[in-house]
Amino acid sequence: MKLPASLAALLMLALVGLPTPADAASKERLVIGISQFPSTLHPSFDSMLAKSYVAGLARRPITAYDPDWNLTCLLCTGLPTYEDGTVTDETAEDGAPGMAVTYSLKPGMVWGDGTPITTADVAFAWRVGHDRETGFDAYELYRRIDRVEVHDDRRFTLHINKRTCDFQGLSDLNLLPAHIERPIFESGAPGDYRQRTAYQTDPTNPALWYGPYRVKDIVTGQRIVLERNPNWWGESPYFDEIVVRTIENTAALTANLRSGDIDMIAGELGIAIDQALAFEESFGEDFQILYNPGLFYEHLDVIQDHPALKERPVRQALIQAIDRQAISDRLFGGKQPVANSNVNPLDSVYYADLPKYAYDPEAAAAKLEEAGWTIGPDGVRTKNGERLSFTLMTTAGNKSREQVQQVLQAQWDAIGADVAIRNEPPRVFFEQTVSKRRFDGVALFAWLSAPESIPRTTLHSDQIPSEENSFIGQNYTGYANPEMDRILEGLETECAPETQARLWRELQTLYATDLPAIPLYFRANSYLLPKNLEGLTPTGHQFPSTLWVEEWRLAE
Amino acid sequence: MSTDMQIDHPSPTGHGLSSYGPGRHRRVVRRFLRHRLAVGSLIFLLLMTFGAVAAPLIARSLGVDPFAVDLFNRFAPPGGASLLGTDEVGRDLFTRLLHGGRVSLAVGLTAAVFSAAIGTMIGLLAGFHGGRVDAILMRVTDGVIALPILPLLIVLAAVDLSKLGLTAESAGSETADLARLIAIIAAVGWPTVARLVRAETLSLKTRDYVTAARALGARPGRIMRRHILPNALAVVVVATTLSIGNIILLESVLSFLGLGIQPPTASWGNMLTNAQDLVWSEPHLAVWPGLMIFATVIAFNFLGDGLQDALDPKAGD
Amino acid sequence: MLSYTATRLLECLLVLLVMSFLVYGLIGLMPGDPIDLMISANPDFTAADAQRLKALYGLDRPLLERYGTWLWAALQGDFGYSRLYQQPVGDILLPRLGWTTVLLGTSLALTVMIAIPLGVWAAARPYSRVDYGINMICFAGISVPPFWLALILILLVAVPFQAIPAGGMGEAGAGLLERLRHLFLPVVTLTLASIGGFTRFMRGAMIQALRADHIRTARAKGLSRARILIGHALRHALLPLITVVALSFGTLFSGALITETMFSWSGMGRTIYEATLGNDYNLALVGLLTATGFTLAGNILADLLYAGLDPRISFQTASDGTGGGSTA
Repeated sequence: MKLPASLAALLMLALVGLPTPADAASKERLVIGISQFPSTLHPSFDSMLAKSYVAGLARRPITAYDPDWNLTCLLCTGLPTYEDGTVTDETAEDGAPGMAVTYSLKPGMVWGDGTPITTADVAFAWRVGHDRETGFDAYELYRRIDRVEVHDDRRFTLHINKRTCDFQGLSDLNLLPAHIERPIFESGAPGDYRQRTAYQTDPTNPALWYGPYRVKDIVTGQRIVLERNPNWWGESPYFDEIVVRTIENTAALTANLRSGDIDMIAGELGIAIDQALAFEESFGEDFQILYNPGLFYEHLDVIQDHPALKERPVRQALIQAIDRQAISDRLFGGKQPVANSNVNPLDSVYYADLPKYAYDPEAAAAKLEEAGWTIGPDGVRTKNGERLSFTLMTTAGNKSREQVQQVLQAQWDAIGADVAIRNEPPRVFFEQTVSKRRFDGVALFAWLSAPESIPRTTLHSDQIPSEENSFIGQNYTGYANPEMDRILEGLETECAPETQARLWRELQTLYATDLPAIPLYFRANSYLLPKNLEGLTPTGHQFPSTLWVEEWRLAE
Repeated sequence: MSTDMQIDHPSPTGHGLSSYGPGRHRRVVRRFLRHRLAVGSLIFLLLMTFGAVAAPLIARSLGVDPFAVDLFNRFAPPGGASLLGTDEVGRDLFTRLLHGGRVSLAVGLTAAVFSAAIGTMIGLLAGFHGGRVDAILMRVTDGVIALPILPLLIVLAAVDLSKLGLTAESAGSETADLARLIAIIAAVGWPTVARLVRAETLSLKTRDYVTAARALGARPGRIMRRHILPNALAVVVVATTLSIGNIILLESVLSFLGLGIQPPTASWGNMLTNAQDLVWSEPHLAVWPGLMIFATVIAFNFLGDGLQDALDPKAGD
Repeated sequence: MLSYTATRLLECLLVLLVMSFLVYGLIGLMPGDPIDLMISANPDFTAADAQRLKALYGLDRPLLERYGTWLWAALQGDFGYSRLYQQPVGDILLPRLGWTTVLLGTSLALTVMIAIPLGVWAAARPYSRVDYGINMICFAGISVPPFWLALILILLVAVPFQAIPAGGMGEAGAGLLERLRHLFLPVVTLTLASIGGFTRFMRGAMIQALRADHIRTARAKGLSRARILIGHALRHALLPLITVVALSFGTLFSGALITETMFSWSGMGRTIYEATLGNDYNLALVGLLTATGFTLAGNILADLLYAGLDPRISFQTASDGTGGGSTA
């Protein structure tokens, strides 16, 4: 076996002994590696991280959360408020309580071909999205807007047929260039607009873009090249050209970074934290590595129909039996904070004094004893002939989750719970097992939601997917608590700040007590950047760092 | 059935491998023993199989549990009870390799034997009966050969067994995982053997003793069983041995695509796949399963090669 | 010969038809459908939306009926739109077919060019040190998991040598050199993985050719070793090799999924894989059928070549499948 041995030796040599590449990024061009390719560049179809990452460079939403998690205007002059009269209550066309919300576009904004951006583009975008046949992702938003009233080129009012507290923010109404897209939209059925849109047929048309950069070249599955947009009205970006390259295999992604084929790996869509930690261990000195905990809430959905798991003390014992701090420290270098509820500590509505569970296997065992679960002859707890036995599922191929899963199995075993691991490919897992509530135990996955968003779809009892409602809704656990329903409904309609604060406190307390899901940790994004790149601020929420690309530059 | 560029190495010397008459076995053994690489491979594979079969015993005698997670003992260096150190969740690497060998070897052997059985049957029938039976069977064989194997395997591996009426429980269990893998490999792996056996049968059926048996009124089934099959076995053995290595590789590729054996069950394929992301900081985690796959596959290839030479009457004595 | 070819072509169409039905059914057995995909991605989806879209996509009709509709449209040349890319299937597959052909064609050519001399060399001195050495190399190449081979090559070659990219296909409209740079590693990977098979085949064919009567005669006549090897044996051994190359010609178009994935090469293998997992019926089906079609064509070509080049073979025997003895 001479050959493999020498091969291994060579491999080791390559890993430790060879010279490292110099800073490859230059003012002329920055090459970013991501692990996914957007299926379309049309802003309103197929929402996916890869697209919002690229779109951040070439277009802007009307509003967004900034890196400090404050809602800000990117295209508008100010957020609407009741105080200055830009929000008023009215009665909707169907007689329900509605509201009118007025925005003004910033002056001087133009599409990449020089055509001014006006309210006509807003009205057109609404018209396309409001047509249910078009099939926009955010149809619900367009449905809620009964009409768009245009006052002049810059000022418009949305007439909304539902009165809610979260009226601020308009990030999902994506502007469309009416002068390009209107003839296309009108030339056929809305149902196949998706295939006819210029974003699909002519994506390098400058008129489609209005960010610091515009799309210059696309090779599907490979890369998107973006060049400076000469018609950009804001601060001019530092780099002449940005190339976003897709490398799906994450081992190959890091290898490309090492070989200098790419200059950085995006945190939003790059490698998992354990890979980043391993990479840092070897090459931390050659790169700038940032870890930023974000909104990805990793948790265990606990099915509420299970004979044992339906008992609250059992769920509380399960969370006490796992050493989440050790998992975070040992597996993730302490970079992924332990979660205490579904609300991120960075979120303004976070309640710091909610019930928390420290690692205490004795207390967990005692709690189970008290609830009548006693150790049986095979070491597994039983109660009335029912065994404390369930499956623990997650997405196959996700190594971080698989590692955590195996730790959980071992720690639950220690308090007398019999846990079987059963994993499925992500598609099967999400589309069949979880969303159709076919798991018999707990399911490990993550939610991503906007800051301050009300978790109605995951916690309200009318959101439990079933055969009858065509499996609509995301309350996969089947959690039904009238108290929770009341809080959620209150959050949507009772807008007084004190009431909101109280309801958010109640929600988090109830969540942490009832434990419809067991919180684990908030995932951290890992940014692998050139040492001399400055100005890139990880956001941690769904608005990518590329929305502030004007601030990126290389240190001289 | 190779794994990426689908080119296998059909051997033009595949026809007429067997020889007949007394002293045949001794001559075969003598010729095989002269093939030092093949003998070495056989010894290696026997050791490997022993290690895999005895994995639980070895683990117990070393005092380690290959499934015990220890967060405070990740990436431990070799030493003490852990002969090769520990993996990313603190499990003993050496005993996991042995357990992985159980799965990888079991999949390789079983799938190879199944595809050999299917192939032999089809090849025998086609070669012996000839005519329309032959034409139909060989067209089917050609059809299967023309299939783009890897993409098809992906479709097959992703099929939802519960849509076929299995309960979600049994569809997702570990045995179902294994059985599915073996079944799909066997389902596409048989044509090699079928072609070889058919060619062998075609030449055997013109031999005097077969014609004689026929003239004496022996039934076709009996002729196939008694006279043709034993003499065609040599090609089957060689082809099967060579295919085991390919199947072990295929398992690793399916693991790479996330369609192989699921953790915490260890297979060399999923161990290697798991390790590739840690290649920068913990290369040994990838080197070991990679070496096991490499050594085992190459050993099966050498063994098959040696067997082929030993069983080939035309090879120089 | 004409009628023989026609029969074979007809058979191919039959195989493709059966294949299209099988694959359609298999994809139907895969978990989820496009609507499930949308539901799990979008919390605001309503039950009415789901029903409406199921009807729109025809997913509420039985599988057989949907297959019929698909087949009817396909026969008229309408392969439909790809669900993933929202482009006509042909627009997606054509460039990828080209990319795949470039990658696999280059590596096949390289493989054959290396395999022939290696095989001849090994066969010239069977069971010598040289033979063992070559054997060793052949088996080593086919015994490494391809994704692992690719990763090792990236680590050993692309990382230390900046001139060699670790992946990608080069800029649009790039020059030949740029293209070759990007081709280098994937081609090396594929060549290493496939050279063993061809070399061993070549060796076997040579050894068989060397045993033939006319070689013995040539030897008896006292011809030089080189002349016997190159002039006589090689000529005969090349014949089966050509058919094997023709057979593997078909696989050129089904791509090399692993290599394409590791080196981010937009080829057929990756496309079919993504389409399959992404529930993109049209793309996956047409991709698989294209690959199968080319393989079948390769088989016919192999048989025709075999029969055409060797006067001793009649079409009858060629169709018996002795032509080249392909394996999957």
